[in-house]
Amino acid sequence: MTSKIFKSILSVAIAVLLASLVIITGVLYQYFGTMQESQLKDELSLAAKATQQLGESYLQNLDSDRYRLTWVDDDGTVIFDSHADAATMENHAGREEIREALVSGTGSSTRQSSTLTEQTIYEATRLEDGSVLRISVSRATALVLVFGMLQPIIIVLVIALLLSSWLANRMARRVVEPLNRLNLENPMENEAYEELSPLLHRIHAQHLEINSQMRELQHKQDEFDQITGNMKEALVLLDNTGRILSINTAARMLFGAGKACIGEDFLTIDRKHNMCLALQEAYVNEHAGFRDSKNGREYQFDLNRIDSDGNNHGMVILAFDITEQVNAEKHRREFTANVSHELKTPLQSIIGSAELMENGIVKEEDVPRFVGHIRQEASRLVYLIDDIIRLSQLDEGAEMPREDVSLKVIADEVCANLADAARLKGVSLEVTGDDGVVNGVRRLLYEIVYNLCDNAIKYNNPGGRVRVTVAGKPGEILLSVQDTGIGISPEHHDKVFERFYRVDKSHSKQSGGTGLGLSIVKHAVQYHHGKITVESEPNKGTTISVLFDTGA
Amino acid sequence: MRNRFDEQLFELNREIIEMGSMCEDAIASASKALSTGDMELAAKVCENGSAIDRMERDIEDRCMKLLLHQQPVARDLRLISAALKMITDMERIGDQAEDIAEIVTFLNGHTMEGMEMIEEMAHETIKMVTASVDAFVKKDIELAKKVIARDDVVDDYFSRVKCGIITLIAENHADGEFALDLLMIAKYLERIGDHATNIAGWVIYSMTGTHKEV
Repeated sequence: MTSKIFKSILSVAIAVLLASLVIITGVLYQYFGTMQESQLKDELSLAAKATQQLGESYLQNLDSDRYRLTWVDDDGTVIFDSHADAATMENHAGREEIREALVSGTGSSTRQSSTLTEQTIYEATRLEDGSVLRISVSRATALVLVFGMLQPIIIVLVIALLLSSWLANRMARRVVEPLNRLNLENPMENEAYEELSPLLHRIHAQHLEINSQMRELQHKQDEFDQITGNMKEALVLLDNTGRILSINTAARMLFGAGKACIGEDFLTIDRKHNMCLALQEAYVNEHAGFRDSKNGREYQFDLNRIDSDGNNHGMVILAFDITEQVNAEKHRREFTANVSHELKTPLQSIIGSAELMENGIVKEEDVPRFVGHIRQEASRLVYLIDDIIRLSQLDEGAEMPREDVSLKVIADEVCANLADAARLKGVSLEVTGDDGVVNGVRRLLYEIVYNLCDNAIKYNNPGGRVRVTVAGKPGEILLSVQDTGIGISPEHHDKVFERFYRVDKSHSKQSGGTGLGLSIVKHAVQYHHGKITVESEPNKGTTISVLFDTGA
Repeated sequence: MRNRFDEQLFELNREIIEMGSMCEDAIASASKALSTGDMELAAKVCENGSAIDRMERDIEDRCMKLLLHQQPVARDLRLISAALKMITDMERIGDQAEDIAEIVTFLNGHTMEGMEMIEEMAHETIKMVTASVDAFVKKDIELAKKVIARDDVVDDYFSRVKCGIITLIAENHADGEFALDLLMIAKYLERIGDHATNIAGWVIYSMTGTHKEV
């Protein structure tokens, strides 16, 4: 800025200086030239008169340094010259002023010297005798004058230079100072040059725009945080160098990362080898996924590369908790394997008996026994299939008609149906308690009581006791089935409700159960939003209690 | 220029973490192969040994380039020189895990009593390695000090395993070779513990510039 102002000031100064120099020199030179000419003419007329009267003697006596007088004859021969020897001078008839004077009586001319440093003005007049008297004077040319003034001009120029640089500095400072003092936070409150107001307006507008954009960004960020913060899935965003850009609450919990992890390398919160490999794979193949257990739960990790315009912008890591799913899968697999096995066992037995009879190996009197065996196994198969169908119905969770049912009535019914089995085993059956009216599915409630009692009889010792108690309390009804049987050791308590789980695997055949009874009970209880608990001690007996919430 | 340097340091940091993770993986797999007699797993550990060696050379190259081109000072210089030392220890851990896996393949599923203590020892050693890498990752001096203190536990395990093996040989001459293999494994585990201690020491050095007096 300073240098620009300096340049303009200096150029103006130099231009003005040169212009005035040219004009003044031109005008003055012209003026003095005319003055000199008229003076010369006066001088010439005086000299001409004197020469006409006195002749050559006047000229010889005339002592003049300023003027040069030349007397030329009418044929051009120089008669006298005040500055040179007339005899050596050439014929002057060709000279312009002489020729003019010979013709018209007076003549004048101006000639430059060969070096251009001098200019000679000639004036000539014709005398009465026809000869011509010429007077001349020399003066310096304008160029020489200008050269002569070079030194003062340079001094003036230097002064102009210094002055303009000082002025430029000062002006720049004075122009910039208010600009530097501008308050850009509140551009409209400044009292600066009027010329600045468009700029200030623009800054103000930009301020407003930036503020609104910031707010919008903040809003979006908050929105994003809100959404990801409430997600159950863990979400981590990485930039293209693998640094964490964003991590939601679930992911923080999953990776055990603190607040300070944003901006850190993702490997600092999870450096497991399979994660490293998956990251590398995702950077190459856009997508990678793997399953891993973390903090005792199973997770499915999905990694996706974020691309835009062919550039890699980072990575999204999403982790789902698939523990339930994995467990369900495992259960399903086990269930399928168990079902196949359980279905196959009676069938093998049937096939075996049938083959023996087919080949005539069985004696006539044994045939009823074998046929009875086949019937027994076949009905076992039917029980099993019935149980499986009931379980899968419960699994599907289809709505079944509900009604008010008395648990006591059901318990009595069950005891009547199981009386034979109990008598065979030598076990006494007993039902006590209130009516215990529950709003539920009759068939399922029957199933619960039946299976519990059936187990209580089956796993009882001869001479044992089974007591079914229905106790109604405000808001809930407790059904408990207590036996004096072989009991269940504590490590099996959780597992007895699993499908096909048997505490004593070797006795399964003997007791004739399908291994699905308690599983059905559990599901039926869940269907009624009840709670089931097991209390048992080996060789002392088992109490299984079901608590129904009547909501009243 | 400085930005580029920071980027390179970041990469270095990441590679060390990766290498640490590979070592953790190697020793965990080797110990699992030992307790389950899983031959395939043992063979895999042996294969991965070369990957750890490659990683060491890569990191070494990177450190040298950083030292030459950027001429780091102070903390950065300490980090790089500590990295150079750390990867040597890590590489040794990888090698020893490989050695253990190799012995496991010789054992061929052979087990005997006295193994439980070695398994416990292996478990303790794995915890040490993990903690030392964690200390580096989190730049946690306290954790590094804990790792150094934990070395005594592993040393103690070693002497107990040794005594156990001596009685084993005294009682049952036939299993002498197996007993010696077990002793080797215990020794390797003890060495891995020492390397983990070294790594923890270098973590402390890279942050404070001083070595903890052991």
